[in-house]
Amino acid sequence: MAEHPQKPANLIKWFDPRNKSLGSWAFILNRITGLGLTVYLFLHLIMLGQLARGPEAYDGFIALVKNPIFLAGELLVIAAALIHGLNGIRIGITSFGIAGGKQKQLFIGLMTVAVIAIVYFAIRMFTH
Amino acid sequence: MTQTWTVTYEIFRKKGNQASHYDRFEMKVDPDEYVLDGIERIWAFNDRSLVFSHACHHSTCGACGMLVNGVEKLTCITPIRSVTKDGGVIRVEPMRNFPVISDLSVDMTVFYQRMESVGHQPVVSNGFEDSKGKFDPEDDLLRLSDCIECGLCISACPIALTTPAYLGPAVLAGAQQSGDLNPCVLDLVDSENGAWRCHSAYECTEVCPSHVDPAWRIMDLRKKLVSRRIKKFFGIK
Amino acid sequence: MRDGFDVTPRSGEGAGLWFLKILTGFLVIVVLIIHLIVNHLIVEGGLLTYTDVVRYYQNPIIPIMEIAFLILVVTHALMGLRSVLLDLHPSNKVLRLINYGLVVLGLGSIAYGIWLVLVIVGRG
Repeated sequence: MAEHPQKPANLIKWFDPRNKSLGSWAFILNRITGLGLTVYLFLHLIMLGQLARGPEAYDGFIALVKNPIFLAGELLVIAAALIHGLNGIRIGITSFGIAGGKQKQLFIGLMTVAVIAIVYFAIRMFTH
Repeated sequence: MTQTWTVTYEIFRKKGNQASHYDRFEMKVDPDEYVLDGIERIWAFNDRSLVFSHACHHSTCGACGMLVNGVEKLTCITPIRSVTKDGGVIRVEPMRNFPVISDLSVDMTVFYQRMESVGHQPVVSNGFEDSKGKFDPEDDLLRLSDCIECGLCISACPIALTTPAYLGPAVLAGAQQSGDLNPCVLDLVDSENGAWRCHSAYECTEVCPSHVDPAWRIMDLRKKLVSRRIKKFFGIK
Repeated sequence: MRDGFDVTPRSGEGAGLWFLKILTGFLVIVVLIIHLIVNHLIVEGGLLTYTDVVRYYQNPIIPIMEIAFLILVVTHALMGLRSVLLDLHPSNKVLRLINYGLVVLGLGSIAYGIWLVLVIVGRG
């Protein structure tokens, strides 16, 4: 009897968007941003620990994050949060059977909002 | 007026425990022929050892699902024109997520068993609801169910890709359509490998050749499961 | 999996967790919007120095909001992580470890966050 071809290593194929429809792009984006944001969440909590170490430590830390590399990282987090959040709205409402047939239009619409917001935040951050 | 294209079929070959490889067949086709027609010609004139499954040639039996240039297609209704160009390549592979029996043929036993056990009905009343809404049944006419059990949705599903235990879109859609959520069916669909495992990639609906819209049906099944739970919680029958 | 049916009862994906994930996700969006409005539109000059942050936390609504936000985000993030891990199809034994690990990690970070908030409030 032939074996089932599935194995956990297929995980990597999730992130292969070739020959995939828009829904898969949404799924891939959601996974990547979700994992990224989880990593950021814990980094952020650790970083905020500087607050407990008093004024010098925290203000020194803020001075550090004002350099462009950290700003770019921060923009990445904002972008991930926007994409994940807006896509989450789509998944949430379609999961309740609302607008399932319109999920593509919904995705395009929400991602347009995300892109506009990301550009806005980028301009705001780098011109201040 | 008929056209003639020269295309190359790249066909996945695998027998028993041998390593898989691709055989190339260059041939002249009419672009309005279907992908399956070309495969049959290869079997007839080039290689009688090529194994593939097909039967009805008009998208009713659901036997000829394959991967054509990386996308799940029912090859009997997929015109060559829609998947390649003159001088192009048509890569034909067996469906993903099923055990390969030989060449392009896959073992769908488990899938058929699951369809049966969730109470999928091959014949339904004409007044059946679908994602466009509920039709009002004028009379008690019967028709064949939309789902032809071709397995394309399971091949396309990113969750089925990681585990054979996931019931899969067609099975969950079958449960939704049958409407009879008895304890046995509930055990299957309201479980780890049932309706809650779907991650909304909508690939199933994308490849379904028969307007079943499995993704919508999974969402609707969830709605039914949740409302059941709420009713049970408040003790309403 | 012998005959195609895998219904060994275990706490994999389920209705409750799925619902909780959507609910916390929605609430995270709501609190995040409030958080952004308060941080960037109401507080003058932002929260870029230690003194600003400490002053900001003197309003009792702020620590409550931040703690709620923390709990929601941590829950949502770890449930999401669990979903991803579940798709690796862990064995029952590994899944139990994952469940304990995530609960410990979640409770740990929530406790740490609350401690941090209390420290800052206490510095006021």
